[in-house]
Order: sequence, then C-alpha cells, then structure tokens
Amino acid sequence: MRRSVRAFVLVSVLATAAAACGESPAEDAAPAEGDAAPVDLSAFDGAVRIGAALSETGKFAVEGRDSRQGYDTWVRWVNEEYGGIRIGEGRYGAEIVYYDDESDADTAANLIQRLIDEDQVDFLLGPYSSGLTTGTSAIAEANNVIMVEGNGTSDTMFERGFQNLFLVATVASDYTKSAVEALAARGVRTAVIAHEDTTFPTSVAEGARRHLEANGIEVLAIEKYPKDIQDVSAIMTKFRNLGPDVFLGGGHYNDAVLFVNAADELGFEPDAMLITVGPSNPRLVEQLDDDVEGVLGPTQWEATMAYEGHWFGSAADYAAYYQRLWGEPPVYQAASATASALALHLAIEAAGSTDTDAVRQALRALRADTFYGPIAFDERGVNTAKPMGTIQVQDGEILVVAPDAAAVAALVYPRG
Amino acid sequence: MSRAAPGTGAVAGRWPAGRAVGVGALIVLVVLAVLPLLGGTSNATLLTLTLMLTSIGVAINWNLTGGFTGYVDFGHAVWFGIGAYATAILISLQSNGPQVGWPPVPAILVGALVAGFLAAIIGRATMRLKGPYFSIAMLGTFVAVREIVRVWSPLTGGGVGLTLPPYLNRALFYYVELALVTVLVVGTWWLRRTRFGAALVAIREDEVGAETRGIDTTRLKTAVFSFAGLSTGLFGALWAYQNTFVDPDIAFVEVRTIDAVMGTMLGGLGTVAGPVLGAAALYWVRELLWTHLLDAHLLAQGVLLIVIVLFVPRGLVGLVDRRGTSLFELWGWKGWSRGLRQGPVAGGEAEAAS
Repeated sequence: MRRSVRAFVLVSVLATAAAACGESPAEDAAPAEGDAAPVDLSAFDGAVRIGAALSETGKFAVEGRDSRQGYDTWVRWVNEEYGGIRIGEGRYGAEIVYYDDESDADTAANLIQRLIDEDQVDFLLGPYSSGLTTGTSAIAEANNVIMVEGNGTSDTMFERGFQNLFLVATVASDYTKSAVEALAARGVRTAVIAHEDTTFPTSVAEGARRHLEANGIEVLAIEKYPKDIQDVSAIMTKFRNLGPDVFLGGGHYNDAVLFVNAADELGFEPDAMLITVGPSNPRLVEQLDDDVEGVLGPTQWEATMAYEGHWFGSAADYAAYYQRLWGEPPVYQAASATASALALHLAIEAAGSTDTDAVRQALRALRADTFYGPIAFDERGVNTAKPMGTIQVQDGEILVVAPDAAAVAALVYPRG
Repeated sequence: MSRAAPGTGAVAGRWPAGRAVGVGALIVLVVLAVLPLLGGTSNATLLTLTLMLTSIGVAINWNLTGGFTGYVDFGHAVWFGIGAYATAILISLQSNGPQVGWPPVPAILVGALVAGFLAAIIGRATMRLKGPYFSIAMLGTFVAVREIVRVWSPLTGGGVGLTLPPYLNRALFYYVELALVTVLVVGTWWLRRTRFGAALVAIREDEVGAETRGIDTTRLKTAVFSFAGLSTGLFGALWAYQNTFVDPDIAFVEVRTIDAVMGTMLGGLGTVAGPVLGAAALYWVRELLWTHLLDAHLLAQGVLLIVIVLFVPRGLVGLVDRRGTSLFELWGWKGWSRGLRQGPVAGGEAEAAS
C-alpha cells in the first residue's frame, strides 16, 4: 500500500507542477477580479461603462494580456488625451470592467452574463479567440448588448445573423485576399494549398481557394494536415511534382519553419510562398535567415502601415504612444483591441447617446479612417473596408507590400 | 454566491441520521426551486448555479462507475462531449456542418442516447480491464474521440466547430438541470438499497467473488457504465444548447473529468451524498481560489487534491459513513493487486493480454 500511495502523491505533485507551468502567468501585476482601469472619472459629466472578459490565465494568457493593454491604451487615451467621449454637450469618461475568463468557455459565458446582469455595463468588448467570442457573442445577442471585437475572426460567427456583434479586424476567409490579388496582377496561373485542420487555418484556406479562383488562378491541390505535425515532406514532395506558381500554407508558427525547410531540402521552388502564420514575426527571419527571403505573409496590422486617422494619428504614432504606456511595441492583437474600442467610441459620439439601438445604427453607418485602417461594417457586422495587409521578407526586413494603400515597398515576384 | 451556500450547508446536515438527511435535502431542494421566483436572481446567478448543477450531475454519474462499481474512469468527459456534439450536429444549420436542423428537444434526447449507445459499446471492451488499466484505456478513449471529432469534418464541422441558435433561457435550463440532479440523487439513493446496487458494490469489493456467486458482472457493469454515459451525455447536450457553440477543444475538456473525480473524492467515493456535496464544494472553492489567488489557483487546487487523498481518502461523507470507499482502495491497493494477481481468472484473455 505504501508504495502505491507514494506513487499517487508523486503523480499528483507532477501533474500539479505541470499544470502550474502550463499556465503562463501575466508578467505585469495580476488584476483583481472585476477591476476597472485606474482612472479618475470625477472630472467628467458621467461615465460610459464597458465590460470585457479576457484571458489572464490559461492558454490565451499572452494574447489576452496584449488585448487588455490594447483596450487600456484606448481608455488612457480617451480619458487623458482626448478629454472624454463627447455625448451631446457632455464629456463622458470611459471605464472598462475586466474579468479573467481563464481561457475557458464556461467561465467566459458566466462572466459575460455577470457583466451584463450585475455590472450592468453599457457595452461589451470582445474576448480573445474565435471559440470564446462565438460563445459569448450569443449571450450578448440574447441580451441585446453590443459587442465590438477585433480578435475573433472565424467566419462562422457571422453566419448567425447577429445584430449586436461587430468585428474591426479582417475576417479569416479574407486573410489572403490582398496577397492573392497582388499575385494575380503579376500573372500567377496556378497554386497549391496546405493547411492545418483546425478552426482558423481552415477558414483561411477555404477563403484562399475562393479568392484564387475568383482571380482566375487554378488550385492544383489542397492538403489538410493534423495539429502539431512534425514532418511535411510528403506534402511538399507532392507539391513539387505539381509545379505550381504559388504555395499557400497555414497553421502555427512551427509549420512555417517546416514548410520553408522542407521546400528548401526537396528543391520545391515556387515563384511565391504565402504562409499564414510566421512571416510577420521577426523571430522567423532570425531563425531561417536566407531561406525565408521573399516569403509572403498576411498581417492584420503593422506599425509601418501607411494608415492614418484623426484619433491616435498614424499607425506609427499609435505604436509610439503604446510603447510609452507599456514599454513594448504593440502586436496586432493589441492594435485590434484598441481599434475595437475606438470604433465603439466613434459610434457613441455619432449616436449622441449610449442607447443600444442608436449606437447600433451608428456602428452600421460608421465610415472612419484610423491608425488601424479604414473601418466600415457590412450587414454581418464585419469590417470589410480594411483589407488584410501582406508583408514580404525583403533583405531580412519585414515590409508591407500590399494592399497599395498600406504598402511601403513593392512586391518582389518571382521571389529571389 | 451566497445564495448557494444553503445548498452546501443543508446537505451537510446529512451527518446525523437518515431522516434528518432526507429533511435537509428536501429543504435545499425547495430553496433552490423557489430561488428564481423570489426575484432579484439574475441570469448570471442562474447560469452559475446551472454550471454548478452540471458539474454535480457529472460527478454523480462518475460515482456510479467510479464509486459504486469501482471502475475509476479517467475519460468520463468523453460522454459529455459526445452528447454535446450529437446534439449540435442535429440542430446546427451552419454551412460547414450537415445542416440537419432538428428542433432542440428531440436533438437533446437523441444526443444523450448516442452517448449512452457508444458508452455501451466502448464500455463492453474497456471494462474487461481492471484498475489503472481501465483508467488509462478510458483516458485514451477520451483523447481518441476528440481527435476523431476533429478529423471527421463533414459531420462535425472539424476544428471549426458548430454554432447553434442563441436561445438562452437561463431559468428553463436551471430548472431542467435541477430536476435532473434531483432524479439522479433520488435514483442513486434508491439504487443503493436495491439488489442491483448491492451487486455493483460486490463487484467493487471482490469481482471474482461476485461472479462465483452468480452475479453477471459484465452485464451489470456495462449497464451502469452505459447509463452513466447516457446521463452525462444528457448534461452535455443541454450544455451545448446553452453554450450555443461546440468545437473539439471546448466540448472535450479534461478538466470536466478531473472535476468529477476530485468532487467525488472530496465528498466521498461510493456514497450518495458524496458527489453532490463534493462537486458543489469544489465549485465554490474554485471560485474563491481564482478570485483570490489567480496565478496560483491551479497550484492550490493540486495541493487540495493531495490533501484529500492523504488525509480524507474517504471524503467528507466518509468521515461518518463507512460504506464508501477511497481511491487507493479501488486503484492503488485492491484494484491494483486484483488486476495483477487475480486478473486472468476474472477477465479472461483480455486481462492476460494487458
């Protein structure tokens, strides 16, 4: 008996340790439950109360923290720099009530319900990830509370006919649109696609196929592969034998490394490589050096983009402001979060009230140029005005090459 | 939060004697039933209570195989996920799914039946294994089913998942789940007093002995396992409808099994009140932990698990009621030795193979 008890205790301790390690703790001071950003609202005529459940713990802890910093950037800016939200003659301060959804669907649902019922927030900002946004947006819809979000981009969310869900970011199926259009203009004829069989890469790949076909590019093959794949050489060998002009691949960061290495080793040299996740990350360039030269990748937002707006100024101005507040440059998740809050802010001002119906009308009618790009929602609530950016690695630098409105360099095709 | 305190408090009234326990339980039930009618109960509170009832329900079902029959199932949440998915597949009209478009009530019932049916098939195979071998086989089943769901995209929508129409009536789901949990509690109380229940405990205490005394152990344990699967599938089906969205990583969560095991152990394995008390307590302890400890809450939870196993192995109810059991009696001690030494006699070829 003794031995088995000890074995069980050992297993329990190891499991606990593993669980504790798996959870990446937020680096800054952990926020308490339901705390609001520390702002003095006494100087204002009133306050607009907004709620958000974000992941402080669990598998989305890092992105959750970026999203929160993005929201808080808007709060700081609107209260300290802008002088409060203008509603009629009055100036209203902004406050956000946060909870930690632990990256868990049940907890997120519970907290969104709590924000609506008990904290009685006027509006909601989205959580991080498509899965959590899909579940919580249904609660917002059922309670007639508007949710503006920038970090849940799966297309299926917008098939549901919701009236209260708005996305400032580009929807997953349009991730490759600007790249495909730019490539079509250069006379690309054929393409192949490989994607991981999970939510987001599947949406991206299905969208890519549509955009390719719409631009008269023939899709020679589509290959799905499982999560956490270790070897893509079978797929790449097949693709090499098909000899396409363009290779499109999507999954996680590590897949980008596998694709680039396998293509190099197997002598698969398409004129363009477009990889969903990875190329916009400077780490990939460091890791793969010359092999990644000329590779294309989509990006929601980059600080180098040539976008500018009346609020926050240009993309670069926003990045500088963000850097001042948080001591690190903004990633696109943070920019998307700030842009969500900004869209809501502009709609409240246009509506002249915090009434849900009036603000919904205003969101539908919103046409704004911002640091994040143009914002205009279609009837689904998706911002179709902002194209997805495309970057290319040129001489080891990550440069925006499409769309034209955001580009800082010309597309190099065929790649080096 | 404070509203549920009577729940745990009054069940704690089970200690003294049978009658007092019954009266206490009835009071809790009445309080819980009347609560939403009193007004001032927000949808948020109802949702919190509903999620708590869900984990109590799953813990009761887990206890049927884990506590009474002695088969420690480490993949029980698979039935929850299957129930959720079957229901979602039947209801969802999403473009990437099969677009069946059933109304909710038949879809939820069929969802539960699918879980029960698959539990009968899989249980027949896995329940030939004993002790830790069974536990690991079920953990494997859980992981395998999640991957099958991920890959079988024409039916399941793959990794994208399936959305359901957002019909959110918190009070309705609360009452449905309260009724289900009540039925389950009364059911297990009754089961404990029947020959069938006694036979299950006999399987737990000495499976070979039970068999030699004429108990058809394979049939009984498969029956109870299938029922537990069906019942947990029903909770999963209801959950899917409430969450309005399923994907493989949201519907198949390891934590659901861990919670059922921990809750039952905390309350008392193989007792009627154990899983109810334990799962409810665990739910509130968790709420307190993550509110106050945040980054350390999983660590605290792990420590709690170790403390339970070492110092109250028979759980809270086990302190006064000796009819329950503990994990090392099932698994570390008896189960293990039974599995290794007497396995070939009890389980035939399958056991020898393991």
